[in-house]
Amino acid sequence: MRRPRGAPAISLLMAVLALVYIYPLILVAINSLKTFAQIMENVMAFPFQLRWENFANAFTLMRYPNLFLNTLVVTCMGTAGVVLLASTAGFKLSRTRTRVSWFVFLLCVAPMMIPFHSFMIALVKVAKTMHLTNSIWGLGVVYWGLGVPLSLFMYHGFAKTVPAELDDCAAIDGARPLRAFFQVIFPLLQPVTVSVIVINAMWMWNDFLLPLLILGGAKKSQTLQLAAYNFFGLYKIEWQNAMAGVLLTITPAIVFYLILQRHIIKGMVAGAVKG
Amino acid sequence: MTAGRRRARVRRGIEFLWMTAPAVIAILLFVEVPFLMSVMYSFTKWNGLDKAAKFIGLANYKELLATDPAFGSAMIFTLVFTVLTVITINVIALLLAVILDMKIRGKNVLRAAFYVPNIISLIVIGYVWRFIFSRGFDSLGSLTRMGIFQLSWLGDTHLVFFSVVLVSVWQSIGFYMVIYIAGLQTVPRELLEASVIDGTSPVGRFFRITLPLIMPSVTVAVFYSLSNALKTFDVIFSLTFGGPGTATTSIALDIYKTAFSDNRFGYGTAKSVVLFLLILVVTVTQLNTFKRREVQA
Repeated sequence: MRRPRGAPAISLLMAVLALVYIYPLILVAINSLKTFAQIMENVMAFPFQLRWENFANAFTLMRYPNLFLNTLVVTCMGTAGVVLLASTAGFKLSRTRTRVSWFVFLLCVAPMMIPFHSFMIALVKVAKTMHLTNSIWGLGVVYWGLGVPLSLFMYHGFAKTVPAELDDCAAIDGARPLRAFFQVIFPLLQPVTVSVIVINAMWMWNDFLLPLLILGGAKKSQTLQLAAYNFFGLYKIEWQNAMAGVLLTITPAIVFYLILQRHIIKGMVAGAVKG
Repeated sequence: MTAGRRRARVRRGIEFLWMTAPAVIAILLFVEVPFLMSVMYSFTKWNGLDKAAKFIGLANYKELLATDPAFGSAMIFTLVFTVLTVITINVIALLLAVILDMKIRGKNVLRAAFYVPNIISLIVIGYVWRFIFSRGFDSLGSLTRMGIFQLSWLGDTHLVFFSVVLVSVWQSIGFYMVIYIAGLQTVPRELLEASVIDGTSPVGRFFRITLPLIMPSVTVAVFYSLSNALKTFDVIFSLTFGGPGTATTSIALDIYKTAFSDNRFGYGTAKSVVLFLLILVVTVTQLNTFKRREVQA
């Protein structure tokens, strides 16, 4: 298609709109560098001297290094587990054409229609019985069950594009099934794997309710999102530290997004359309 | 059957078992069993601490349908909120997608700008906007002297509804814009060029050619915005915690409060079963209606 008439004007208009759109985030950045008095005086004014102490304060108040590591552990553990369980099962179910296999497949994807809030109360009880509460490892394990259905569905659909002859090749080579899968098949599933990683990692990193329920976050927070919640729940909000805290909390996700921008957009669309 | 073939069958069976069992067990343990337990507990009186829950039949359901003003207002809030956000999100996202699908300068940067709020956690988004509504609007108000900035956006029981809608829409538009852009890219260029030659106006072209062809994207986007709106929780949790009063308490938040603040777990599960049924009925109806409108290029 040709460049439409008035393209520069549209471009300019959209640029202004986009700036207005992300202005709240710009305000967060500006105010994270002010003193409390300056924030109370005028939110929009630029800070005349940059108060980096706010970040140092937020860093210690949130126990940032600890919680960053915790959140990373949960996200990595959850995502890795989902990739492992969903790829093996999704592939095998797609290759096996029996009634049992079809039933198992339905059993695995039906949960996509069950909203989290409709079973969270009993989930807490199950997690407690299994001694998975109050532990970031336990939280990671619970994510396996929640993340697998959609991811398995995506692997199941994509596995059809992998030629069946490859299964036999691997079998004839005498490779053990497990090794055959990870050496021959798994690399070919890479496009879905990327989408699955992106969808699950973004969700687990940003998730709030499940960590709140499993870690019981009231007193000592154990993930960054729980820390943000406790930080703001303080009786008197120290806006300057809180804004620095917001920036510290969202920076990892934004960096992840900037590095993997193309994959993230593709992954999110794939997850939405396939789901 | 020969012994060899039987052995091969057993081997395939074992392989099937160990490749699928871990996923099945995880799903059963953390989704399906808890869900079935919820359905069972919904017929009981249970405070979460007692070992045994007491069976009380349909009493929970009777209470929530007939005598619980909190659930009634949560239901109304959620439904009105859903209608308003689904329409707003899809109209604006589609409009943005059409504009940012044109050949204009800097469209990648512009797309990224609208997408950014979507990668920030909802809980933090709520806090960011609490700051904007309180401190930010104060300054904007004294700068511009415009009335809208001097209203109490989180304190007024009517206005707060629109604050929650505004923030939810702001956060999610980028995601739906991306779905629509992906859809627009599947529209064959020849069809559009042919209609340019026919002299169809751009607006007519959009409604008669583009929109019917991207109906699959519309189906998906409306489906997601519907189910997300019906189970909205995080933004409200951090922005208003359902207040003032119960003005912005959604069903999901009401379930949370019933179970974890009031310790009425049995009653909470009854509410959660109702939420499940509500979302199921609404989304299945939507999918059926929208799928029928999809056409092939």
